[in-house]
Amino acid sequence: MANQKQPERSIQELYRDDPERADALVWGRRGALQGAALAAMGTALGAAIPFARHMPGGLVPAALAQGATQPQFLQMEGKASLIMQGERPLNAETPEHLLDDPITPADKFFIRNNGNVPDRVADPRAWKIRIDGEVNTPIELSIAELEQRFEVVTRRLQMECGGNGRSGFSPQAAGNQWGNGAISNAEWTGVRLRDVLRAAGVKDSAKFTGQHGADTHLSAQGPAISRGMRIEKAMDEDTLICFRMNGAAIPQMHGAPARLIVPGWPGSLSQKWFTRLEVLNAPHTGRGMGGTSYRIPVRPIVPGSRNNGADFVDMESMPVRSVLSSHAHGTRLPAGTRSLDIRGHAWAGDLSVRDMHVSTDFGQSWQAMQLDAPPNRHSWQRWQGRIALPSDGYYEIWYRATDSNGRMQPHVAANWNPQGYGANPISRVAILIG
Amino acid sequence: MRLLPYAAVALLLCASATIAQTPDLAQRQAEAAAALAEQQEEETVLAEGEGRSEVFGYCTACHNTALIRRSAFTRERWDELMDWMAEKHGMNPLEGEFRTSIVDYLARHYGPRARGPRGGNPFLN
Repeated sequence: MANQKQPERSIQELYRDDPERADALVWGRRGALQGAALAAMGTALGAAIPFARHMPGGLVPAALAQGATQPQFLQMEGKASLIMQGERPLNAETPEHLLDDPITPADKFFIRNNGNVPDRVADPRAWKIRIDGEVNTPIELSIAELEQRFEVVTRRLQMECGGNGRSGFSPQAAGNQWGNGAISNAEWTGVRLRDVLRAAGVKDSAKFTGQHGADTHLSAQGPAISRGMRIEKAMDEDTLICFRMNGAAIPQMHGAPARLIVPGWPGSLSQKWFTRLEVLNAPHTGRGMGGTSYRIPVRPIVPGSRNNGADFVDMESMPVRSVLSSHAHGTRLPAGTRSLDIRGHAWAGDLSVRDMHVSTDFGQSWQAMQLDAPPNRHSWQRWQGRIALPSDGYYEIWYRATDSNGRMQPHVAANWNPQGYGANPISRVAILIG
Repeated sequence: MRLLPYAAVALLLCASATIAQTPDLAQRQAEAAAALAEQQEEETVLAEGEGRSEVFGYCTACHNTALIRRSAFTRERWDELMDWMAEKHGMNPLEGEFRTSIVDYLARHYGPRARGPRGGNPFLN
């Protein structure tokens, strides 16, 4: 009897301390969980695993594949209980179950800072933005002048941190360990950057941009971050200089009084506290450009290996990704629950999402979900559907989006790179029935 | 129909009001962010061991210890990050014994771990 009790205690510890060895001990050669070990795994998780026969070998259940420490949460007036990634710089992630609104409200908008948050300005309408470099006539316009002179447009636009999903990488990559929650889809109002660029007169030599903002680096040496993009993206109809979010002023935390929104590309291009855009004939060299920053390998490198990023390329359109927003990870439901209506959002950078699938049997079978068309290009899309739960017990809902080019979220984070960009593996939410 | 002019005036008022977040809230959020950034940390928030004081003193000049505590890197990756911070983020380059003691500490206490960075099993609490 004593021998039977032993694995119940050790299995969690093993997974915590050495998952490879735990797998070797727990999983049989055929990749199936065996008798006593299955019972132990069920005990460790607090429930039977209805689809255990379908669990691939080497797979740690989602409920176990988590950190040893509980996350801390942000407490700030006007902000929801976001997952704290760090205080200096201040970064906080929106839990997936708080991303249920089709239009992300200000309080549920993730926080990403590279430097210090500037103080509020007294007269927002007098805030000036300068366009210079490879243009015929450099111009400097206040927000009031921009609004008066150019067409004002309102669009629902996804804005996602370039490192969203980073925690999916193994070995760990450097930076905020985001899950999938560094994503937003607010309704932005502003003027098209291209209209302003055309007013300044873009020269033939204009190939790239360099963005500048008012936030300072934590070291007090220079700007927090200054990134740039190809001129084609700057001329996209959805790249906006914004001065309103969800019909209200842009919150201080999110770049008031004006910011760029460059939807579908790494969020660092959507310069907050936006002051100046240089038009350049060569790639920008600001802080956050070059090396391994916001860049991904063309020729895949060995995960964990050293690389200076010299032959990486800048990350542009973000990869396809989805969130499940109707049920939090760790939701417990009443015994006898046999079906569940679930929903979430999916998006794919400059592309759209073509299909959405979920699996409740560890990927053995997949079920198509209903997927809405985006209300406008560069908005995320609502997905929803009903899943069946054949018995009480522990389930994982796996959810996977496919972009309009047919590329699916992969089973594990692909194309490892030192600073961890582009991780978009299939996500898993653990639920317990009974 | 007589209401229209009033509606137009109301709309105009709304439009001008929406360019600035409630000034008080905007300022309070900026101050809250500054307060979070300025929060004094105790050295003991880091794992006990040789080199802790040096790591705490040097690293928190720029960022707080959350960036260290969330990390789980090999010695080689930690060493690489010292160069990255010097090249990209204006850190005074670390050399010699001082560098060794800092990198040794980080690798020893914040090395690769078996589990991910997020919370515990939701059904085991």
